[in-house]
Amino acid sequence: MAEKITAYRFDCLEQTLSQLNKEDCAIIAGGTDVMVLHKSRRGVPPKILKSVVFIDHLSELKQVNQNQKDLHIGACCTYSELLEHALIPVALKNAIKSIAAPAIRNRGTLGGNICNASPAGDTLPLLYVYNAKLRLRSVNGERIVAINDFIQGPRRVQRDPNEIVTEIILPSVLEEDAHVVFEKVGNRNADAIAKVGFAGYIRINDARIEDVRFAFGAVGPTMVRSLNIEKKLVGKTLPLADSDIAEIVADFDKIIRPIDDQRSTAVYRKIVALNLLRYFLSLKQYQTK
Amino acid sequence: MSLKDISTSVPKKDHKGKVSGQLPYISDVKVENMVYGVLVRSPIAYGKIKSIQLPTLPEGYEAVGAEHISGPNYVKIIQEDQPIFANEWVNYIGEPILMLVGKDLNTLYRLLDEVKIDFEEHQAVYTLDEAIQQKSATGITMASYEFGESLENISAIEQGAHQIIEEEYDTGYQEHVYLEPQGMLAIYREDEIVVQGSMQCLYYIKNALISALDCGADEVRVVQSPTGGGFGGKEEFPSMMACHVAVAAKAVKKSVMLVFDRSEDMVVTTKRHPAKLNYRTALDKEGNILSMCVDIYLDGGANAGLSQVVLQRALINSAGVYKIPHFHAKGYVLKTNTVPNGAFRGFGAPQSFAGIESHIGHLSKLGNFDPLEYKRKYLVKQGDPTITKGIFRDPILVEDMIEDLLTASQYKTKKAEFQHNNPQNLRYKKGIGTSLFLHGCGFTGSGERDHIKATVKLLKSKDDLVSLKISNSDMGQGIYTTLSKIVAKELDLPYERVLYPDPDTKEVPDSGPTVASRTTMIVGKLLERAAKKLKTQWQSGVEQEAVEHYVHREMIPWDEKTFTGDAYPAYSWGVNIVEVEVDTLTGNVKLEKVYGNYEVGKVIDERIMKGQIDGGLAQGLAYGYLEKMTSKEGRIQQKSISDYGPPTAMDVVSIDSKVFDNPYADGPYGAKGAGELTLIGGAPAVQAAIEDALQTSFQQIPITPEVIIESLWRKEGEGD
Repeated sequence: MAEKITAYRFDCLEQTLSQLNKEDCAIIAGGTDVMVLHKSRRGVPPKILKSVVFIDHLSELKQVNQNQKDLHIGACCTYSELLEHALIPVALKNAIKSIAAPAIRNRGTLGGNICNASPAGDTLPLLYVYNAKLRLRSVNGERIVAINDFIQGPRRVQRDPNEIVTEIILPSVLEEDAHVVFEKVGNRNADAIAKVGFAGYIRINDARIEDVRFAFGAVGPTMVRSLNIEKKLVGKTLPLADSDIAEIVADFDKIIRPIDDQRSTAVYRKIVALNLLRYFLSLKQYQTK
Repeated sequence: MSLKDISTSVPKKDHKGKVSGQLPYISDVKVENMVYGVLVRSPIAYGKIKSIQLPTLPEGYEAVGAEHISGPNYVKIIQEDQPIFANEWVNYIGEPILMLVGKDLNTLYRLLDEVKIDFEEHQAVYTLDEAIQQKSATGITMASYEFGESLENISAIEQGAHQIIEEEYDTGYQEHVYLEPQGMLAIYREDEIVVQGSMQCLYYIKNALISALDCGADEVRVVQSPTGGGFGGKEEFPSMMACHVAVAAKAVKKSVMLVFDRSEDMVVTTKRHPAKLNYRTALDKEGNILSMCVDIYLDGGANAGLSQVVLQRALINSAGVYKIPHFHAKGYVLKTNTVPNGAFRGFGAPQSFAGIESHIGHLSKLGNFDPLEYKRKYLVKQGDPTITKGIFRDPILVEDMIEDLLTASQYKTKKAEFQHNNPQNLRYKKGIGTSLFLHGCGFTGSGERDHIKATVKLLKSKDDLVSLKISNSDMGQGIYTTLSKIVAKELDLPYERVLYPDPDTKEVPDSGPTVASRTTMIVGKLLERAAKKLKTQWQSGVEQEAVEHYVHREMIPWDEKTFTGDAYPAYSWGVNIVEVEVDTLTGNVKLEKVYGNYEVGKVIDERIMKGQIDGGLAQGLAYGYLEKMTSKEGRIQQKSISDYGPPTAMDVVSIDSKVFDNPYADGPYGAKGAGELTLIGGAPAVQAAIEDALQTSFQQIPITPEVIIESLWRKEGEGD
């Protein structure tokens, strides 16, 4: 017989946080990662060793709103909900459309994708170039942490057992006329795990680069981003000289170290990551939005 | 519903149960006194079992192994080399050694981890290349055939040739990905064991059980349960599972259920044989073919299984649809210490067609011919000899099918347009490619007459309902519907008054296995004849039956030793045109347009035929560029559907297809085989389209993004 497990489903966030303060629980938002992670062989229910707390229904975690020029996205908004929402940027919608298939998108949440911290997490490259910040709450209060500090390694995040990620903040995303590109390379067009992910972000003023950011997914334990490399391009004018492009590509060539696995090869991942970077840098014109 | 034109679609017999989700598959079944079985599998690729240490088994839990088998310890297929439970040598990772049975799966999985087996490991052969190098060593070559023009003659021709082109071509694994994983249940009764499950071949299983249980024909009974897809994966493999559950049921005197989950199924069940095909072709100055030699190597995996028959079909199709002067071929099935390979829709032909279409395409480029025009020069015609000295007896419509498709696809305009536009688009390149193919319907040679000897029965009840009593499985391909239609039309009965209950060997004669694109053509014809007979004897309100036996068509007798004669009674034909767009940054291939023209004699149900076309072509296209399975030191690497990557609705485009009528005298209403044909043209057409887009050549399938990027990378290096 299956062992019993305790599951909580509180009416509000306060109660949830209070329980988390008493007991280390497995948090389930959409469950699309947790259930797979704890899957047993055929005919046996998943084995989750802790008590489970459901947070997918908490209305405090399902809001999307604008604060000045920042966008605040509730951690438990499902992908499908975000696809319908007017405030969500097109690039993020494009990234969401590349995730799994409708059934998973109806359950999976943006907060879940972050807390799962997969090296191949679909939205992560984009959230990195948006400089996304996360709001975490516990009974003791709240704190805000940058996504690249929060994600520490494969399935490793800087969350205390009594904390919940309540929202994702995309700073200034609603103000800037930045051009954002997202590319997911999978083995097929749906229900695929990324072999390479790339996000590029560029803001220009009169052909002069004011800000530029790149992030690569599925080519290392966490997203690859380098502020030092990005800085080299600030102030340059478009179109970039071939030598500038070559230098940036060579810089990333040094820090991108993918692996071979059942889905692809290290060689492929690296060439494609650099191809996508080179292509982004070579574009003559960038359209904003 | 009465049937005016046999081709007009009707609702499928099994439609409601499947669409409503109410139809119980084998894993939904529970019977009294039932326990589950789980298999203890070999963790090593090759070695000798020294000792087995079982954990203390709780009450009600038992281990079943070789010592419980009453008959010989092999699964009766063709050769006697596949143990039911390996008890001495293991030959691949995943080979079954023991079965643990008991009530609770969770407990069984725990016990499975506690079984300790000591092996004496031996050096395994992991790859086809290794096996080719060692092919003269004992036990490596499991089958081989050679035929065609003498090598002396070919050598003389080659000496006078302008040039000789040699190409090596590799094809990969393909996994069936039937919707329903394998499952089998043995119901224990004092006087009989009833084996029920997902299957294509009831009597293969029954014969395997009679051998394993060493019992009489009336002591075992095989019943097909609703089968969620087969694609050949449920041809010979279920015989082994049936032996497992039946032996276990006998041993523990309980009913035993064995069902795989997806990852177990992907790792241990049979796949399409990886192959290497070598071509050696002599050309004259103008680029005309003077002679051709083909060598085919199939990776059989650890057991012979059906591999020798797969090799036969691969060889028979080694010249494609072409009349090649001075043709010679030989082929081998080689043993490797990997999961056994077996039947898969197309049965050796997809490898050969991918290879020959690729090679002919490359030859055309050498002579600066359009590939399609070059292929048409060599296209076989009615009355031409086959490469095995048989004859293409029936009319061949391929020329008409090509002409029609050229217009529908605007092939020439597209080709010119792509060539013009591609240099302007730095990232995306478009291409268009074709494939021409056939499929020999039914068993190779005189298999139907000598081995299968099909019998069908129609049973009319007192209330004038007519039931089909045959041993063929509907696995989704629609024979419940198509065969019922044939009988209904012949008897002039409403379709609803013809029944086709799930086959049960206690009730049905052996009408043969559900394989080789034989069911509609062979079994359908027998049913048509039985229905004619029943009609002449029809007496309302009386129970009646009509039986028919296979009658062989007059042909040039097939000789397996010399590999000569008519290999098949009839052929179905196809033409595909595929348009793709290749992303040169990622190597991803996007299908843009897919066209197919087919000739299958006569269509029995238009919607079912469209299902075969769309499904078969999607599977065939994916074989060429999408689905990728690899084995690393004897271990299958892709254990989930998402890692393996069969196409989704987002990958396949709407398929533009047409079927040409060309009634065949020995098929019901003129019908020939259709199920396998539709897969065969996919891979070669997609390869040709990718090559057209990138203006390069590939010598392998699948052409994955990894292969494309490597090729572009190399090309760039050459340009520097």
